Amino acid sequence: MTKKKLISEQASSALAAIVSIGLFLLLWFWGTKATSLGLLIPGPIEVLKVLFDGIVGQVGKHSILAHAGYSLMRVLAGFSIGSLVGVTLGLFMGWYPIAYAIFNPLFRVIRPIPPIAWIPISIIWFGLGESAKIFLIFLASFSNTTLNSMAGADNVDPEVVNAAKMLGANERQIFTSIVLPASVPAIFAGLQVAISSSWATVLAAEMVRSSEGLGWMIVAGMNNNNMVQILSGITMIGIVGFILAIIMRRAEDVLCRWNKSGR
Amino acid sequence: MKNIKVKYFVISVLSIFTIIFVWFICINVLQLKSETVFPGPLKVLNTFFDKLHVKAPDGGTILQHLWASIKVAIFGYALGALVGVPLGIAMAWNKWVDKFVRPLFDLIRPVPGLAWIPMFILLFGIGLTSKALVIFLGSLIACVVNSYTGIRQTQELHLWVGDVFGASNLQKLFRIAIPTALPMIFTGLRVALGTSWTALVAAELLASTQGLGYMIQQARAISRPDIIIVGMLAIGAVGAVFDAMLHVVETKVAKGMNIK
Repeated sequence: MTKKKLISEQASSALAAIVSIGLFLLLWFWGTKATSLGLLIPGPIEVLKVLFDGIVGQVGKHSILAHAGYSLMRVLAGFSIGSLVGVTLGLFMGWYPIAYAIFNPLFRVIRPIPPIAWIPISIIWFGLGESAKIFLIFLASFSNTTLNSMAGADNVDPEVVNAAKMLGANERQIFTSIVLPASVPAIFAGLQVAISSSWATVLAAEMVRSSEGLGWMIVAGMNNNNMVQILSGITMIGIVGFILAIIMRRAEDVLCRWNKSGR
Repeated sequence: MKNIKVKYFVISVLSIFTIIFVWFICINVLQLKSETVFPGPLKVLNTFFDKLHVKAPDGGTILQHLWASIKVAIFGYALGALVGVPLGIAMAWNKWVDKFVRPLFDLIRPVPGLAWIPMFILLFGIGLTSKALVIFLGSLIACVVNSYTGIRQTQELHLWVGDVFGASNLQKLFRIAIPTALPMIFTGLRVALGTSWTALVAAELLASTQGLGYMIQQARAISRPDIIIVGMLAIGAVGAVFDAMLHVVETKVAKGMNIK
């Protein structure tokens, strides 16, 4: 494609994006102003205004940014413990058949249970505080990272392993300098799934029981019949989710320059 | 080779029995935790058989709750798949559809499906509509993303072959691109099934009058962890069965494509 063509292609994409989002906003605006839908759903301008007010001022006890901060702190704590345990366990399960034989039955039972289904029992076990939420996010990131790093360690090219054996590498060396680096792309694929699953789980946990966080914000909006608060909360949730995904992708680009997973 | 397999199988069986045995010892023999907090395996098994015919304390047997959940999940999921797969294919195949729909799609994509629950409950109440809509959104996103990637993976060379033999645009789509994309489409369908089931449980936890999520939430309120564990295992089992069913369909339809 020539350069000129490429530029016009990009321009038409940008134009189409502006047109379609503009049309959507216009339809939303018109629907809330001109029809009875306006009684139920606030218009885009009101939502933006409340979002802005919430960032400067407060929703409930904190500003929207502080709510997002609470949610992110929980995700960070649970995600780092969960992915650390998950990646380690997954690598061992993928590489050593004996570890697979021992842990696989338990893992097979736990994996299909959505982390959200653990909410009631975690409240009974850990109470209403932070530890219950961190436990849930731990579970959400744990199963995804285990599964992917297991697949990664399982699919290491046997030729490379045999070459290392021939050159006299011992078991530990093979594991740390061949299996581990070879599984990094798969591990990152798992981490990406895990972060979005953690983000969804923290919202669910906050919706069920919490007194701060973005999940609390939208569920409080529901209880007070405050649709603007729900919609501005959802907007903020989308923004944070988007930023988290970008950060993970950037980290992958930097850490696995030699092998992009293409996602 | 066979001997090794048998050995690992024995280890797996031993491992699961050890876990159950340790669970039994900790709770029933040593009584490390009271059974009102962490019930032992026998109590859980007992509760399971009870729940098959007893309606107390949450107004339904486990099978009634199960059916209520499955009904909603399948309804929303099928709707999401029916819209999502064609939409993803259209976006990948036609650049104008892509240009106009993609920005809107990118706008809702980062929002987890269950964040919409409060809004839908306010708009449509706690009945079927709001739950089905939440599931619909979740499965729609997974289906669109994966079918889109699948179609985009079609090799240009194959399309050129189609051109050489005079295939029309539609023929190229149905004979070349869609068969290439089938494995990815099925991946999308399986991911979507997982998200649907999760979203449904979340919706039932928050506001509902029946379903497995409702059952475990009620059991929490009256402090019956045995019912919660039974419910969780049932939720997990249904998810696993659905996944296995889709896998069977996949191996039938996408024969020889990505059978693992």
